[in-house]
Amino acid sequence: MNAQPTFEDAQRELEQIVERLERGDAGVEELTQLWERGEELYRLCAAKLETVRGRIEELAKVSDT
Amino acid sequence: VARVEAIQYGDRKVYSVASFNQGVADWLQRLPTVWVEGEVTELRRNARWQSVFFTLKDPNDGACLGVTIGRARFDALRLDLVDGERVHVFGRPELFESRGDFRLRALSLERFGLGDHLAALDRLKKKLAAEGLFERKRPLPFLPRRIGLVTGNDAAAKQDVIATITARFPAARLVVAETYVQGPLAAASMIEALRAVSNAPEVDVVVLSRGGGSFEDLLPFSDERLVRAIAASPVPVVSAVGHEQDTPLCDLAADARASTPTAAARLVVPDAAALRERLDRTRAGLARGARNVLDRRRERLEQAHVRLRRAPALAVERKRARLEHAAGRLRALSPRATLERGYAIVRKRDEIVRSASGVTAGDEIGVQVADGQFEARVE
Repeated sequence: MNAQPTFEDAQRELEQIVERLERGDAGVEELTQLWERGEELYRLCAAKLETVRGRIEELAKVSDT
Repeated sequence: VARVEAIQYGDRKVYSVASFNQGVADWLQRLPTVWVEGEVTELRRNARWQSVFFTLKDPNDGACLGVTIGRARFDALRLDLVDGERVHVFGRPELFESRGDFRLRALSLERFGLGDHLAALDRLKKKLAAEGLFERKRPLPFLPRRIGLVTGNDAAAKQDVIATITARFPAARLVVAETYVQGPLAAASMIEALRAVSNAPEVDVVVLSRGGGSFEDLLPFSDERLVRAIAASPVPVVSAVGHEQDTPLCDLAADARASTPTAAARLVVPDAAALRERLDRTRAGLARGARNVLDRRRERLEQAHVRLRRAPALAVERKRARLEHAAGRLRALSPRATLERGYAIVRKRDEIVRSASGVTAGDEIGVQVADGQFEARVE
């Protein structure tokens, strides 16, 4: 994989995959491939969100003291 | 009146210095006796001298006039004049002949009275108002980098202002100029102090401060030069002169006025505690806002994930349904279903018999039914 996509890019790609799967015009051979890519993008986005949330809570804690 | 004799050189009339002076002195005596107003400076009194000397100075443009008054007459007035005091002098012009000095021979002298001051103040106020000097009001800075303070050298008054400013905003930086705020030298000294602090680096506002005082005490704060200096200040000026009734003119020319040091402090610095509180509230909002953004992102992501989990199975299901549909149609087209309903296919030598005329009695035929086939003979 190349450089990590931004959160927004990853989310957009994930949503495009979902739409494509739901439209049902993906080839059978593509199905698992698309699904795996979708899961990968989901994990990437979720991890990014967790990192940011942790950083926010850290900052909020520092500023409260 | 003595005759002034000229010497004749041909057709030119020439006067000696003494006779010229005498002539001018004689002419001056024809001028009326008048009242002249000014400030007393350079007062010289000596017990061995017949006269007392001083210079009368115009406070506005510094024009000077020498004055003499008989020592006995001066002493009888018991005025205790000090330099800078404003007086009215009643006298007539005179030339001191032996020196050619022009001066005012005073017959009487009056200290400028309260009524005079009031009338003069009122005239000055009208004149300055007509010039528009009291109209310009500049907004005060929200948080000045430095605050210029022009204040009396009286420790209590100075500390009062500094204490109230620093109590309200501890990090405030001040440039303090101590001056006379009372007496004949006050106006000039305040002007100098005002110029100095208002031009000092980073000074964004100046406070002119003095504790209360009597009408006479506060007169320097109505001095025309000071009022003009305030109006010409490069940064806004706050006038914080405690007074009861008569507003000093500096109040009118200043960009803002305050009746007490506390009020002045409120004008020139924000309340640090209130500011801090507001900042804290805003910061709390910052964290809240960031969490909201994250929550919304998370929700959208989870929705996409749920759909993703469901989608492949759905897609497979849809494809299977389509396949079944095709299979159904395929089956419908095959003869098996027809045979199952009880029809049979008849063949004669592997040719399908479509007409009764295609067979004759005795022909061997094959009959195919749903679950198999058998041989038969046409009767």
